Amino acid sequence: MELTFLTHKKILLVDDEKEILNMVSSFLKEDGFSEIQTAETVTQALTILKEWKPDFAILDVMLPDGDGFSLLKQMRNYTQIPVLFLTARGEDEDRLNGLGLGADDYLVKPFLPKELLLRTEIILRRYYKEENPLVQLADSKIDFERAQVWKQGKKLPLTAKEYDILQALYRNAGRIVTIDQLCEAAWGENPYGYENSLMAHIRRIREKIEENPSKPVSLITVKGLGYKLVLR
Amino acid sequence: MNSTFRLIRRFIKILLFSVAGMFLLNVILFLIFSYRGVSNAGGWEAAKKLSIELQKTDSGYFLSKSGQDILTERQAWAILIEDGTGNVIWKSDNLPDNIPLHYTAAEISYCTRGYIADFPTVTASHGDDLIIVGYPKKMYWKHMTPTFDYELIAHVPQMFLIFLGVNLLVVFLIYWISVSGIIRSVKPIVTGIGELPEGKNVYVKEKGLLSDLASAINRVSEKLMCQERELKKKERARADWISGVSHDIRTPLSMVMGYAGQMEEDLELSEKNRKKAAIIRQQSIRMKNLVNDLNLASKLEYHMQPIHPQPVNLVAVARQCVVDYMNLGFDSQYPISWETRENLTACVIEGDKELLRRAVSNLMDNSITHNPNGCHITVSVTETQKNFCIFVEDDGQGVTEEKLDAIKHTPHYMMSDNGIKEPRHGLGLLIVQQIVTAHKGKVMFAHGKKGGFSVQLCFSKVTSE
Repeated sequence: MELTFLTHKKILLVDDEKEILNMVSSFLKEDGFSEIQTAETVTQALTILKEWKPDFAILDVMLPDGDGFSLLKQMRNYTQIPVLFLTARGEDEDRLNGLGLGADDYLVKPFLPKELLLRTEIILRRYYKEENPLVQLADSKIDFERAQVWKQGKKLPLTAKEYDILQALYRNAGRIVTIDQLCEAAWGENPYGYENSLMAHIRRIREKIEENPSKPVSLITVKGLGYKLVLR
Repeated sequence: MNSTFRLIRRFIKILLFSVAGMFLLNVILFLIFSYRGVSNAGGWEAAKKLSIELQKTDSGYFLSKSGQDILTERQAWAILIEDGTGNVIWKSDNLPDNIPLHYTAAEISYCTRGYIADFPTVTASHGDDLIIVGYPKKMYWKHMTPTFDYELIAHVPQMFLIFLGVNLLVVFLIYWISVSGIIRSVKPIVTGIGELPEGKNVYVKEKGLLSDLASAINRVSEKLMCQERELKKKERARADWISGVSHDIRTPLSMVMGYAGQMEEDLELSEKNRKKAAIIRQQSIRMKNLVNDLNLASKLEYHMQPIHPQPVNLVAVARQCVVDYMNLGFDSQYPISWETRENLTACVIEGDKELLRRAVSNLMDNSITHNPNGCHITVSVTETQKNFCIFVEDDGQGVTEEKLDAIKHTPHYMMSDNGIKEPRHGLGLLIVQQIVTAHKGKVMFAHGKKGGFSVQLCFSKVTSE
């Protein structure tokens, strides 16, 4: 876990299988998370939610006294914490149902521990970014809250498009983000023919965040496919 | 509808031919009979002959032997009326008593046209005198007023045509009235039978001439619908069963996968044991893919996978698949190259983005599964005049000619209906085929240029109909 400030977040796990609860909490603990509580039923989960006030919840869909979807609806009455569904129900309708209710992600069992951790990290980073407004890059720092970049003590403002593109890259930091995903982040759905504009924006972003924009080390091109943001 | 029309047309044809034939037949019959009548009606001829056979001698009139024969043959009698006086100056021996022996001009005119005392009579001249021959009462019927309007006779051909036309019309009317009843009862049955193969629920009213047939059709339709429902039910049960199994297996498999993954990275374990854990994890991933594939394949096969068509950019789909693989970190053993022309940025078709993504990543999975020692995977998108194509090619161990042939032509065991067969290829390729078919595209399997396996997915540019 690169971002240590997130490891203090309180995580609630809800699943009717004790074994799964044990396993997932062991993964999370190994990854550095220390505050974890588990629940096997909807009732238990609601009690913990009210009393312990977790920052993030991983929910199963099928529970002995109800289902995860209705649990999410109930908890939305008093908390807006991010939620990830971890379930054996892999049908499209279930997934759409879950995401439609406002879940942040939907992961179908069986899953790789690494994938769960990565998704958890992404969600937490997205939700609790304000606690770490400065994203450290090799030659600069990005302040997403103020939409600006600090490079060698100089403050460089980001345009709206540059901000959207950098956000999309940062949310998937360390991973390649396709040209299409970036265009979608900046120009909305079905963005065809924005590739050249994207390249222009990337060039300008590099001028702001890179020491040597023609030899980038933070914002790397993967030819024909996309770009990758490398954190320090 | 068509067949009913054809039926009517054929009937009318037959009818027209038979009416024309009947007409011709009647004309011929009439000619034959009247010809016999004409040759028989030698009444007038006989009178002429008699006039020749009657000779005036000094002792009065003498009828020769052949003249006598003419009369006896016909049981006729004859008289000779003198010009001017109107007296009978000769008579045959068998003259009935009630025949007068003196005639006025009016009487002569009457008997020429008609009868003397009900005996049909004919005349012939004998010099200036007149021979009258009387035949037995039942031998001839005489037309008393043998005149017709000239116009009438002049228009006989037209008259014939009018007769023919009116006759035809009447016959057709009779036919129409009698047949329309039958057609009314046949038509719904013909329509019903026509609709049966379309799988519609057919109901024909069971009344009228052909109610038996109608009820038979209704029974057939009912049976077909029932069979289809049963089949759908079975298919649904099968798909549900597969979906249930694949659901239930997910939780235990999570545990296998999760702990194996954890052990793989546990530095306290020996290198050897960590490798074993890695194998368990890899195999459980295979199982996971298999379960997912099985579920999706059965849904696609039984049309239970909803397809949500929307504009999809194939370049974006392929690019996303490649990037997802790269982000998983398989690069070292399975390097992937993206070889799409830089200026080809939008290949938009109507399709289901998720399913298309699944198809492409299945192909990449396929390359990885079949090349445990690693291979180089190439993904590209091309545009031809009519199609957009996605290529996935590897330089791995490839397939033999027979295997390639089997992939191309033998149905998958999931779809084969002749008992349990050895699975010929993984579900992955079946799903690819199902997805591409659902998008009205084409899958082409071939040997790769560098010896491996190559698959091409082609989608028609014009998908909106």
